[in-house]
Amino acid sequence: MTHARTEPVHRPELGNRPGPGRRSVLAAGGALALAASSGLLTGCGADGKDGGGGDRFRAAFTAGGSQETLDPHIAPNFVDQARAKALYDTLGTYADDMSVRKRLAESWESDASGTRWRIRLRKADFHDGKPVTAKDVLYSYRRAADPATGSPSQVLLSAIDFDATRAEGARSVLFVLKAPNFEFPTVFAGPGTEIIPDGTRDFRKPVGSGPFTFVSFTPGGTARYRRWADHWDGAPHIAELEIVPANEESARLNALLSGQVHYASDMAGASVDRLKKEGSTRLLTAERATAQQLLLRTGRKPFDDPRLVRAVQLGLDREALVRVALAGHGEAGNDLFGMGLRGYPQGLRPRERDVGEARSLVKAAGAEGLHITVETSSVDATWETAADLMARQLREVGLKLTANTRAASTYFSEIRTQGVAAFNTTSTLPVSDFLQQRVRGGAARNQTQYASKKFDALLERSRTTRDEKDRPALLARAQKIARDESGLLVWAFSDANDAIGPSVRGLRAAPPNSHDWARFDRVRIG
Amino acid sequence: MRAYVLRRSLLAVLQCLMVLVTVFAVGSLLPGDTADVLRGELGTSEQVASLRSQLGLDEPAWARFWHWLGQLLTGDFGHSLTTGLPVGDDIGRRIGVTLLLGVPALILVTVLAPLLGTVSGLREGSRVDRTLNTATVLLHAVPEFVLGLLLVASVSLAAGLLPATAVGMDTGALLAQPAVLVLPVTVLTARHLCDLARQIRAGVAAGRHGAVAGHLRLLGMRERTVVLRHVLPGALGPAAQQFARCVEGLLGGTVLVEAVFGFRGLGSGFVEAVQNRDLPQVQTYALLFTGTAVAVNLLGDLAAHRLAPYREVAA
Repeated sequence: MTHARTEPVHRPELGNRPGPGRRSVLAAGGALALAASSGLLTGCGADGKDGGGGDRFRAAFTAGGSQETLDPHIAPNFVDQARAKALYDTLGTYADDMSVRKRLAESWESDASGTRWRIRLRKADFHDGKPVTAKDVLYSYRRAADPATGSPSQVLLSAIDFDATRAEGARSVLFVLKAPNFEFPTVFAGPGTEIIPDGTRDFRKPVGSGPFTFVSFTPGGTARYRRWADHWDGAPHIAELEIVPANEESARLNALLSGQVHYASDMAGASVDRLKKEGSTRLLTAERATAQQLLLRTGRKPFDDPRLVRAVQLGLDREALVRVALAGHGEAGNDLFGMGLRGYPQGLRPRERDVGEARSLVKAAGAEGLHITVETSSVDATWETAADLMARQLREVGLKLTANTRAASTYFSEIRTQGVAAFNTTSTLPVSDFLQQRVRGGAARNQTQYASKKFDALLERSRTTRDEKDRPALLARAQKIARDESGLLVWAFSDANDAIGPSVRGLRAAPPNSHDWARFDRVRIG
Repeated sequence: MRAYVLRRSLLAVLQCLMVLVTVFAVGSLLPGDTADVLRGELGTSEQVASLRSQLGLDEPAWARFWHWLGQLLTGDFGHSLTTGLPVGDDIGRRIGVTLLLGVPALILVTVLAPLLGTVSGLREGSRVDRTLNTATVLLHAVPEFVLGLLLVASVSLAAGLLPATAVGMDTGALLAQPAVLVLPVTVLTARHLCDLARQIRAGVAAGRHGAVAGHLRLLGMRERTVVLRHVLPGALGPAAQQFARCVEGLLGGTVLVEAVFGFRGLGSGFVEAVQNRDLPQVQTYALLFTGTAVAVNLLGDLAAHRLAPYREVAA
């Protein structure tokens, strides 16, 4: 683990603050009133049993725009992931640094070629009492690998040769891959690879092997779950879990502050500042959780000229971007995905701004005064500010940047095909998966259209190298090439914030997509 | 009168149809479609294309509209592209929430506006009138979402008197805890109450000083009778039309109020349907909203016609 997280499980916000002298009287008054109001309101929001022993835990998420089904293999949004975590299990799961830990799989090992992976399942039962078997695993993976299903892990799963793959007894599976891959276990923890009972087609009353059983769900509405006492990892501490939708950030925040929910996901900007002032609620801040990217389409004019890509890299002032666009809640990026994650190269020199060099590159490319449009949207509140600041920074090197704001809900789909430059964000993912899916030549989500035989070959070699020490070295070499050439500029990492109420115990800050994020079976209330 | 009703009703149907065509056309012009939205950032182009054909979005827009309209004639609103469920189900679930917000607001406006307007209008320039005037101008000037956030911050979070949001509550839960409704209904009522009360005040004040009232007083009619029989109906006639606009305004207002307070009613449903590019849903919402607006306007015009038949009532 390169980036161990040493935060305590509970983060008493007030304890971390400089001292009572800096706390304003107003804030203290607010906290008092808040305590009083949450006492008064426990009967309003939930079921009046909040105070004692932990009965029903309510978590508010943004839900608009999701497919609104409990089919775990379609999990585009965080709310889908949170719901999937409650009902289902996966073979593996991501640690904070995106290395893979065991979950339903008790063990896995590959043969010397890296094409045959044998996994053994632990003893676990579905909610209908039937055991989780190899057959269920095969069915689930086949289904998620089908492009028509729409699993976000489909590209990774398509590496499996399902004709040769087979069950070996009830609790062992032999996966045969089309090509060697020693990074294959990252698939086990991928979103959209949940294990469902063999033959499942209907998700109206879903059955999984996760810590909670299904009670009710209305699309666009509340999902209710009950604790499952027979879960292999131990029963959840709370009796019931409710995942409630609240798309407006202010509604999530107010619901949390008034004690109507215990958990409010995805807090940003002003809400974060406000929560920091509240004594009785706590922020769960996952640092560097989101990679803020500027995508330059190297497959198109003008960025098919590497000098211009380089000029932009040198023209950006990342520290200033963090200070202004992220309001200090983040860290400068070094044009590579995955700072702090397993597989991120060590000892990189930070990218430093060099206006003179950038200017001469622009001049050499004959691009002085060139007009570039960058695609942006309100998907991430920081983009538009970042675009403004970048425009000012790049003007100094002789490029004219203007922003084109697109609709939030279709933004990602549109930038796949349109424009020459675009903003993008990615949550934590294993570094090798990210490179496979977004940087490798011809990959489905390679938005900069970068295609380098050298990079692809190194990436391929790192995947097919068995030695645990050689692999990261090869990966690091590949990344250093991509960093300069790919057009995928990671200009910063921003924090991800969720907030919890004063009575919540057993949750800690963890990056989205990782095991401990939105992990409600270990939660206690009161 | 009957000819008037018939003509207005036909016009209403035509209006609805025009709105539907416009909404569909605009909806189709929006960038991206449901497949783009649903697959989001994690989907590949192949997955989006596959979903698009599953949803029938690769058919021409006019064909989809025609199909939806055909279904509509049989009373079927079609299926949501996002959830695959009948659109009627979704609206059925949400309509209760919106009615719980809208109906109390409407009743409050109906009762309070004539009361405040008449009191003010009869005592022009008095302290009561000036206070009410100041209050309504101030309240009217505050945007609804600001008012909502202010009320939540003061009444709910600081004082702890009322619930702050309705996050996660359906119609049943709201009925069991009507306290949740107090703040949103207040916000929803405020602006329309101000509008209507001020208009009635003006009507009452003008009517009271008008030639008709003066004449009636000369004939020896008691002041109370003058006000109740002549001044008030004269003021309420135009107010009936304003009242009809108020119903539309309340429907529009729920979009904001539902967002601020985390309700899952028609307003938030419509916003989500547009965001999801879920055209069958968008169409049904548009039909519902337009139908309501057209119907209440029709009723408003008829009421105005009734209250003040000597006025020219514009269609």
